[in-house]
Amino acid sequence: MSETNRRNFLAAAGAGAAAVGTVAVTAGTARATEARRKKNSAQETVVAYVKDHRSSELRLMVGEREVIVNDRDLVTRILNAAGGN
Amino acid sequence: MSSHREAPEISKDPVADGTDVYAFVSPKRPSSVTLIANFIPLQTPDGGPNFYEFGDDVLYEIHVSNRGTAEPDVTYQFRFHTRVRNPKTFLYNTGQITDISDTTWNRPQFYSVTRIKNGHRKVLGRNLRCPPVNVGKRSTPDYAKLSEQATHSLDGGRKVFAGQRADAFHVDLGSIFDLGALRPFNEVHLISMPNMNGVNAVQSFNVHTIALQVPIRELTRDGSVPTNPMRAKAVIGVWATASRRKSRIFEQESGTYVGTGPWEQVSRLGNPLFNEVVTPMAEKDQWNAREPRGDSRYAKYVNKPELQGLLPVLYPGVFPNLAAYTEPRADLHAILLTGIPAGVVPGFQNYTGAVEADMLRLNVAIPPSSSPNNLGLVAGDPAGFPNGRRIDDDVVTIELRAIAGLTIPLVDPSYTPDGAASAVQDGTTNTNAHATNTFPYLGLPGGGYQTEPGTTQAS
Repeated sequence: MSETNRRNFLAAAGAGAAAVGTVAVTAGTARATEARRKKNSAQETVVAYVKDHRSSELRLMVGEREVIVNDRDLVTRILNAAGGN
Repeated sequence: MSSHREAPEISKDPVADGTDVYAFVSPKRPSSVTLIANFIPLQTPDGGPNFYEFGDDVLYEIHVSNRGTAEPDVTYQFRFHTRVRNPKTFLYNTGQITDISDTTWNRPQFYSVTRIKNGHRKVLGRNLRCPPVNVGKRSTPDYAKLSEQATHSLDGGRKVFAGQRADAFHVDLGSIFDLGALRPFNEVHLISMPNMNGVNAVQSFNVHTIALQVPIRELTRDGSVPTNPMRAKAVIGVWATASRRKSRIFEQESGTYVGTGPWEQVSRLGNPLFNEVVTPMAEKDQWNAREPRGDSRYAKYVNKPELQGLLPVLYPGVFPNLAAYTEPRADLHAILLTGIPAGVVPGFQNYTGAVEADMLRLNVAIPPSSSPNNLGLVAGDPAGFPNGRRIDDDVVTIELRAIAGLTIPLVDPSYTPDGAASAVQDGTTNTNAHATNTFPYLGLPGGGYQTEPGTTQAS
């Protein structure tokens, strides 16, 4: 969709309350799931290592530590990002 | 050898490559033990303009086990950092270096020493100066002075040195790794050639040495200074390691590597030649990454060493008794993996228990010898290898003869060694720079200017 067409689409969507609501809900959902940094989050370079793309294991190198995370969703998002998605 | 470039992976990473470990009761301070770990093998002294130095991104460690578990009870860590004083010049030194603090040395290196004991870390020294390398007569005209200035006294009667020295190891690498040839026995080799003297392949090469002298009581399990060599507490196991960060990223902007994550061991060394000639090629890299306490997996290679099988093949008819010997090599198992238990050599033991582990075992209750024999224990000198290892111990000959069957009768009196077992050698003598009789004992490193090319021939 070209930029011109996108503007047209949004303008058209804004013409109806239901459509506006849908857009608002989507944006709100995105804000609700957006990760926020915690106080003890890493404050330095982190290297992420997915050794086996079929596994849910993610290894994070930070400082002199290695943090092993088992999170299939996170691994999937990294794999997708690595694939250019 | 003894562990110079001994495994495929570490041979590509010389800064982390451990070459030799020494451990002995200090001759002039017999209440102390000297621990030495060498790294960065086969340095040509004229290897400028970027001369050799310790890795700022490598963790160097010397470990001591004193409870029979083959786990480190005392560890000394060495971390280095390098400065560039003048970023505008390509020179290693911008003038003569006559004092270790001279600003003409453009790339000084410093280090810290930390002891870990019973889970407690204690910094023993920080911002300690290394000496520069021995560049040559103009740049480092009084190298002995620089070396002396780089020998640091620490609290508690400890001494430390970290810097370039002459390699003390002598071996005929060129011959041994040319189908197991020993030049003095060339005529009886399967591919016969005229006999000749050995060629010391390590002669004139430098290494980087970490040397530490500490009171014996700091290393024993109960903090005592044992006087009875038959007591278990008199024996310590020693090995050295080098570790790198688990992740290494090349930063294009700076043109350097940046490490992240925990330290992972990439090199280790206890007994000379273990990973070199005992561990099969396919397992050498893993061996370097593992800890001694898991060495039971390598016991089969000690009990039936490949070299034992090769000697009768390479030297037909010379080792008939060895060829016929089919029992597990309990003698080598004791020397390399458990220490020699009481009852084998009268008045001596360096047994650390049943845990099979490649460690250099030192009985600290054995005093320094007044007339050292470089063939050590097998020649009746219990202060030498395999009771620890001194600078001048001829470990190649000792281990060659042991593998050839000379030490089998220690555990199997029914065995008669072949005549060649007590004569086999690589034919080298110690033609390296002379060891000194004071800490850090290894000879001064060869100078770059003073170095002349070797004699390489294609045929």
